[in-house]
Amino acid sequence: MFTTLIRRELLDNLMTFRFAAALFIMLLLVVANTAVLIKDYERRLADYNTAVKTHQEKLREKKNYMAGLAEAVVLDRPPNPLSIFNVGLDKRLGNQIWIPYDLVPTLWDAGMHGADNPLFNIFTSIDIVFIFEVVLSLMALIFAYDAIAGEHERGTLRLVLTNSIRRGHILLAKYLSAMICLLVPLVMSLLLALMLLTTSTAIALSADDFLRIGGIVLSSLAYLSVFYLIGMLISAATRRTSTALMLAMFVWAFLLLIYPNMILTVAETAAELPQDAQARRASAFNQIEQLWEEFDRQRLKFLRNDPVPGEEPDLGIHGLGAVMADFERYQTTLRYHYYTSIAFREVGPRGETLVPHAKNYFGFLTPLMIKTAEKTWPIRESALKDIYVQQAEADRMWLNLSPIGMYDAATQAWTGTDWESIQDFFEAVRQWRLTLVDYLLDTEVFASREWFLSDKEEADWSTLPPFSYQRSGVAINAKRALPHLFLLVLTNLVLFMAIFLVFVRSEV
Amino acid sequence: MVWHIAKRELYEHLNSLRFGLTTLLLLALMLTNAVVYLREHPKRVQKYHDAVTNARNALTAQADNLYVLAQKGPGAFYKKPSPLQFCAEGGEAFIPDVVNTNSWQWRTDALKSFWRLSYPSITPNLGNIRPDVTKVDWGFIVGYVLSLIALLFTFDAIAGERESGTLRLMLANAVPRHAVLLGKFLGAFLSILIPFSIAVLMNLLVLSTSRSVHLTAGEWERLGIIFLIALLYTSIFLALGLLVSARVQRSAVSLVILLLAWVTFVVFMPSTLASIAGGFSAPMSTAELRERRSQLREALEEPFEERYGRRFLSEKQTEVSPKMQAQGDYVMKDAQQQERLNQERLTEQIAQVQGARNVTRISPVAIVQHLIEAFAGTGFERHLQFLENVHAHARQFREFVIEEDRRDSESLHVIGVPTGMSQKRVEPGAIPRFEDTLSLRRDFNTAAMELLVLVLFFIVLMSGAYLAFVRVEIG
Repeated sequence: MFTTLIRRELLDNLMTFRFAAALFIMLLLVVANTAVLIKDYERRLADYNTAVKTHQEKLREKKNYMAGLAEAVVLDRPPNPLSIFNVGLDKRLGNQIWIPYDLVPTLWDAGMHGADNPLFNIFTSIDIVFIFEVVLSLMALIFAYDAIAGEHERGTLRLVLTNSIRRGHILLAKYLSAMICLLVPLVMSLLLALMLLTTSTAIALSADDFLRIGGIVLSSLAYLSVFYLIGMLISAATRRTSTALMLAMFVWAFLLLIYPNMILTVAETAAELPQDAQARRASAFNQIEQLWEEFDRQRLKFLRNDPVPGEEPDLGIHGLGAVMADFERYQTTLRYHYYTSIAFREVGPRGETLVPHAKNYFGFLTPLMIKTAEKTWPIRESALKDIYVQQAEADRMWLNLSPIGMYDAATQAWTGTDWESIQDFFEAVRQWRLTLVDYLLDTEVFASREWFLSDKEEADWSTLPPFSYQRSGVAINAKRALPHLFLLVLTNLVLFMAIFLVFVRSEV
Repeated sequence: MVWHIAKRELYEHLNSLRFGLTTLLLLALMLTNAVVYLREHPKRVQKYHDAVTNARNALTAQADNLYVLAQKGPGAFYKKPSPLQFCAEGGEAFIPDVVNTNSWQWRTDALKSFWRLSYPSITPNLGNIRPDVTKVDWGFIVGYVLSLIALLFTFDAIAGERESGTLRLMLANAVPRHAVLLGKFLGAFLSILIPFSIAVLMNLLVLSTSRSVHLTAGEWERLGIIFLIALLYTSIFLALGLLVSARVQRSAVSLVILLLAWVTFVVFMPSTLASIAGGFSAPMSTAELRERRSQLREALEEPFEERYGRRFLSEKQTEVSPKMQAQGDYVMKDAQQQERLNQERLTEQIAQVQGARNVTRISPVAIVQHLIEAFAGTGFERHLQFLENVHAHARQFREFVIEEDRRDSESLHVIGVPTGMSQKRVEPGAIPRFEDTLSLRRDFNTAAMELLVLVLFFIVLMSGAYLAFVRVEIG
């Protein structure tokens, strides 16, 4: 009996105009946008490769260590191929980061390479998950609005119920068959998208990536089901198809168009406590500044106590080349460090006598800079968290109250374009900086002649520890996606129970 | 007769669920819009005023010496925020609100590089990890929400009556079909007009109670035009709804077609088409810009060095020597060609955006958002106007410098060289002041074409609906 019910429902759904139309639109949109997205990804990848190359060349151009390490160590964040599915923050957050050895780098120090036309950003870009968000939810509601109300109006519900079928079974049959129907456009469009992806030479998907895409399908299914159940609940509660349809459409417009935009706009204005954030920022900046002032006092003390008079940045060497020494400070992101770089190509005979003194000075100064950087880091980290991360987390919590927010967060976690995954890159950068610092302290290259002078020997950049970054494994993606997926499933269960209660108590 | 049917439709709608929900939705959106605007606008204005005052003070400080003034330039130009930003945010977050005058490219003891206009690019969200948000402005409310509501009011206008059999009854009377159609249109139009007007009035009421917002007569005029554009746009979707409703037998099918058309044309079409159109042209990349910049500089530097040696010497000169003339030419040529390069890149960028905007005009939502932006004085067209103002002012400023220099009889009139120019004090009040302005007439010229396209959309869809309805058979 149950299978008969499912078969009947399936045929009912599949043979309709709405199914054909929805399938057509879905395929059209996914194919058109995937083509655009692939092209966009290829361009970003090319930009990334050029950036890596130029940054390496720039570093190699530096003949002495100090100039290279202070100015030219720049790491690039590769674009995520799965950003085609959900772009998340991948395109928005900084993708190149300059790493002076006396500053612990964070997301907020990153810059942007590429972007041939920043003005073009006024057009919003569409990813595949966005198409699913809009079209799948609409389809689910269109399939669901007359599921119960329609049968009620036509009188077939009465007929069905006269048989000895449990009401729960009727609901389940309707639900299952509709979900199978809705799966068709979802899977077909995804397969088409994947086919297009494989034609691109720039994108090579690994086995992990396919698992991630599987996670996206799973989340899409849960999302789809939420909207189908919402539609069914409306259908069971209103009893009339026209009312059900109207209500379903308004609920859809509210959940998709209005709630996310309105709640974030409100949250942005309401949660903003400029004085608080300003005060927090100022106090942290103050603390950091004090540490660096202490550093400067020690630096000057060293210069005063050494046998050579004068406190000039080039230590009186007057070589041929560039000298730079100043504090770089930027209160907004609490960026504070001592930016010093000396690059002499040659020195005169008087300068030559000062070289041992300079080696001594840098042997003292560089470890002190690194130490001060480590000391300021905890202050900066916690302050940045309070200023930037807290608000974002509050926003995400508000968004998680709607199925759209849960779905978006889950798919972002699967694709690895969420904030945590992008943070992974910066964590890798910080780890790499630690190995760099270890390398500096081990080799004591800062106490050598090549540190600031390239007349006899030049810096050997090949001995620098290499940087590599791998996206986190699929297990970590899953761990980050699960809470959101769990919320989606929970919403499903609650809705199903509500429908069951309404339907069981309804009189025919 | 038309009025009679319209009245009947109106009464029917007034009692319906959709009318109540529409009113609630529009009110909530419009109030959010007003509250957010009241919080944000004063900050925006304050920021603008601070920036302008700072720039002005810096300029006054340079007025002591004409050479310094000529070398440093008029300072940054700031775009004046529009008081009607609540109507259309216009992607302002991605459009820079400043044009810089930089002069840091090179300097020697004797000569300093002169200022040139440069166009900063902004990456506004670099450190922002908060989720994306579409600003709830009038453009969004009208473009997305109102169009959907218009479809929800008309999808069953004819198909629904046919299903319930009342269409037959109505047409059995001596009512011309066009009267029925017009009546239905008017009825739906009025029943959207009522909640929309209430919501707009509430929005404006909240705005006008605040002391920080002052709307001038001209701005009220603009608001009126925006309101009329919103109604025209709504009418297009009403006509589309009637057309599909007349062609299709069942109202459910009608709604499915309408919704899918809406999703395609309103939600996806503008972005997808823009991305596709953007792929056809590639503006100068940052790397290319950097390369061409140094190429230009080298091409200028080499002949100069060959003739006059590597360094610019700071010798005191009392009369115009060929070398001094060459130095002046060097400085001015450098500023000129670098500025031209910057402008070339900007022009390419603008052309790419313009191309994409032209293509998106297939979608009515893009047109209506362009129109609202144009009349609210925000967005891309406004940016172009701002750039034009800046260029006009830059020309004026350069002429002013030459004029001032000419008036000084001790000057050697070699612009670009400190010893060749007047070093006298300039009256700060005499320096031309940059005023960023908006003119409605100009807006209307750019907008006229788009308005005509909207009207055309409406006429085509309405006559389509008429033809479809005339041919309807009542079986």
